[in-house]
Amino acid sequence: MSAQPVTLDPGSRLTAPRRRQGLARLRHLGKQLLILIPLGVLVVWTVLPVLVTISISFKSPPAVYAQPQLIPSDPTLQAYRDIIGNDGFQASFLNSLIIGIGTAFLTLLLSVPAAYAFARYRFRGRAFLLLFALLPRLIPGLGLIVPLYRIAVAIGAMDNRLMLMIVFTGTLLPLSVWLLVGFFQQIPRELEEAANVDGTTMFARIRYVVLPLSVPALITIGVLAFRQAWQEFDLVLALTRSSAARTLPYELFLMQDSVGFANNPGLAAFAVLTLLPFIFVYLRLERYVVGGITSGAIK
Amino acid sequence: MLVGNRWFTPYLLSTPALVMISAILAFPVVYAIWGSLFDTQFLGGPQEYVGLKHYQDLFADPSFRWAISRTAIFVTGGLIIGIGLSLVFAFALNRATRRLRFLRGLTIVPYLVSGVAAAVMFRLLFNGEFGMVNRMLGIFGIEGPTWFSNPDLAMLAAIITQIWTDLPLAVLLLLGGLQTINPSLLDAAVVDGASGWKRARYISIPLITPQLVIATVWFSYATLTSLGVVLALTGGGPMNATRTLPVALYETAFKELQQNEALAIVIVILAINALLTLFYASLNRKFDLDAT
Repeated sequence: MSAQPVTLDPGSRLTAPRRRQGLARLRHLGKQLLILIPLGVLVVWTVLPVLVTISISFKSPPAVYAQPQLIPSDPTLQAYRDIIGNDGFQASFLNSLIIGIGTAFLTLLLSVPAAYAFARYRFRGRAFLLLFALLPRLIPGLGLIVPLYRIAVAIGAMDNRLMLMIVFTGTLLPLSVWLLVGFFQQIPRELEEAANVDGTTMFARIRYVVLPLSVPALITIGVLAFRQAWQEFDLVLALTRSSAARTLPYELFLMQDSVGFANNPGLAAFAVLTLLPFIFVYLRLERYVVGGITSGAIK
Repeated sequence: MLVGNRWFTPYLLSTPALVMISAILAFPVVYAIWGSLFDTQFLGGPQEYVGLKHYQDLFADPSFRWAISRTAIFVTGGLIIGIGLSLVFAFALNRATRRLRFLRGLTIVPYLVSGVAAAVMFRLLFNGEFGMVNRMLGIFGIEGPTWFSNPDLAMLAAIITQIWTDLPLAVLLLLGGLQTINPSLLDAAVVDGASGWKRARYISIPLITPQLVIATVWFSYATLTSLGVVLALTGGGPMNATRTLPVALYETAFKELQQNEALAIVIVILAINALLTLFYASLNRKFDLDAT
């Protein structure tokens, strides 16, 4: 606030230009509110469900009803102890981790050579590439659950981690090949030709020229694949009957089905624990995650 | 010329991925079309060709038509809420001052939450006795309902939960579109005295039509094929209010074990999804022509 000159006539402060200035300031404030209110809604919309869940996960089951406020009055780790000690949770967490990492690895292993072929060679079959951008939108995982279930039963691949990795990889390949082709095409051909003068093999060129330059794209695809495997529900529902290969989302679904509202803190703790790897991934690799989301949009 | 340039090199490199895609994506669809034309008396029993009987039965079945109408509400509601919210959030983020830029990173939080975990969270949020939503309504003197025993409110809760998980992609997409708009266009409109609303309506929104179309495809795809969120949130209830096509598919295939009929539902869902996608894509082309 700038100091106003003291005047005896208060009316003089409301001369015409000043009033207009006040109006402009008001309009400016209105404009600010027009941005700030939606941003406030955005924060509440995004964070509240997670905060409420975290809050409930630190309460005892009766306290969920008796003390509904956000900050628990006597927080307890009991729900986390119960869930982490639960056999079903342990098995499914391990399965999720193995299948998630396996899927990311397998997706990269298959999409790198394919993308290299599409980016560097003209050959029959290149027409497939155009289809790759559309495939994930046209064939959702949901559409595969019944056919893949019947195939899995027929070939004896139910309750099999490898089967889940292969299936997830299959659904991820079109998008990851598509993304990698775009990336590989930006790597100057001359770099490879220079390496070629030294008589390197194609594998050496991919290994020492192409891949080191593609690390950001590879991380993005790895994170994308891991997330897909970690969060998939429909296909796990179809392809598992026991805890041998069942992953976290289905385990959480079954637990909720069996306990109902009897153990809210337990369910909340379970939901929070499924976010664990992402807290790490998010803090270390945020820009790759964001890159993965927006690139996922073209699929 | 690159070494390793034999004629078969590209085939060698791309075959594993192509085989995988064919086996996991293409073959099951062909299998589904084929299987939907057959019938078995019991699981694993001999197949009997029945032609389009399953499709005729489905469309004659009131519970299937009910599932289609509930899906239409779920998808339409999801589109309206999803596009509306993502537009508002994208515009606000686009105008946010530097100090508030971190909010963009916050937007992606739901992307990290699986559909089932989101459903668990929203069941706690919408709970009739201790839920935060009803407590907030209480502040305004509104007595909160029991969301999951009222058919309309359960549908609304399902739509909100589904959109919550799918919103980050749309917001970032639209935000990306807004950021590519040449500021001089908007400045020129300011000089001409266009209000903020008019600038959004007549300049920004037409210019981000491609992104809006992709977001529309995304929401309609995500709602049309959503099983985990609906199943974990409402289980299809109350009174089948949220029994959408995916829930009907799941129950037909894995509860009633009518798998050939379920394959017909798969084909119906794939067909609706493909038709919607083509329809939106044609809209995009139409708007493009208008713009030129």
